[in-house]
Amino acid sequence: MTNQIDLEAEIQRLLTEHDRIAEQGITIQRREHAIVLGGEVESAQRRDEICRQITGHFPEIEITCDIGITRAQAPIEVEEIS
Amino acid sequence: MIRIAAVGDVHVDKDVLGRYRPALEELPDRADALLIAGDLTRHGTVEEARCFATEFGGLGVPVVVVLGNHDHQSDLQDAVTGTLTDAGITVLEGSATVLEINGHRLGIAGSKGFGGGFAGACASNFGEREMKNFVGTTEEISARLGEALRSVECDALVALTHYAPVPETLIGEPLEIYPFLGCYQLGQAIDSAPTALALHGHAHHGSERGRTPGGVPVRNVAHPVIKQAYNVYQLLSETVDTELLPA
Repeated sequence: MTNQIDLEAEIQRLLTEHDRIAEQGITIQRREHAIVLGGEVESAQRRDEICRQITGHFPEIEITCDIGITRAQAPIEVEEIS
Repeated sequence: MIRIAAVGDVHVDKDVLGRYRPALEELPDRADALLIAGDLTRHGTVEEARCFATEFGGLGVPVVVVLGNHDHQSDLQDAVTGTLTDAGITVLEGSATVLEINGHRLGIAGSKGFGGGFAGACASNFGEREMKNFVGTTEEISARLGEALRSVECDALVALTHYAPVPETLIGEPLEIYPFLGCYQLGQAIDSAPTALALHGHAHHGSERGRTPGGVPVRNVAHPVIKQAYNVYQLLSETVDTELLPA
C-alpha cells in the first residue's frame, strides 16, 4: 500500500507523467475519508480519465472529484493597457 | 488603437476540437491579432499541433504564439513549430515580428522562457553541472528575449512568454513551485526595452495582473485563470470603450 505521506506526490506525478493525462494543474487535498481533486481541465473526457487512472492505481483511496471544465466563451469586455 | 486577444495553456488535442471555435469566429470583430502564450498542445506531438492549427488557424487575423513546456514533451518542438508555421501561424522563440495594424506597428517579441525563481529565492549558476545547465538555460533564453525586444522598431511592443516574468501573477500557486513557474531574468529582459505589455501563461492557479520591477504591466492569460476563450487588451488608445460586444 502507498505510504500515506507520499500519496499526494505519487498522484501528482501520475497525473503529470501518464501519457493519457499530462495535467500539472490538478490540486490534491486530504479530507477525513477521501482525497478531493480540484482544478480545471479542457474537456470532460480528461476529467473522467483522471478519476479513472487514480482509481485504477490507488483502489484503496476514495476520491471526490471537484475538477471543472474551463469555460470557453467569448469575452464581453476589453482592458485598456496604459 | 490596437486590440490584441490573448490566451495560453489551451492544451489542444482531438477532444478539444470545436470548443474554442465559436468564440474564435467572433474574434475578428473584437481584436486585431491573437497571441497565445504557450502550451498549445498536451504532449507536443505533430498530430496535436495539427489539431491546434485547425482550432486556432484561419481566423482572418494574425496568430502569433510561443511554445510551452508541454509542447516540448515529445522532443518534437522543431516539427511542431514547422507544422504551425505551415498553417500560417507565427512561432516566436527568442525572435520578434511586427504586425501593421490600423496604421500602427505592433511589435511582438516572444520566447518560451524558463524557470529559476525570483529575487530572494532564485537558483544560482553554481555547483553541479546539472544546476549550472538549468540556470544557464534560464539566462540564455532570457538574454535572447531581451535582444529580440530591443531589436524591434514599433509603436507598441508586447512581450510574449510561457513562463512568468514576475511573482505577482503566480499568487495562488504553491510558493514551493515558483522556481518552476518563472524567473526574474525574464522580467529584466522585458524591462530592458520599451515594452507596453507582457503576456504569459503556465500558472493555472495564478493571478491575472502584475507589474515588472520597471513598471511594465504583466498579464497571466492561462486559460484556467482568465476563464474564457481569450482576453482582449487595448493599446495605443485614443478613446476608451470597455464594452466589447460585436457590432
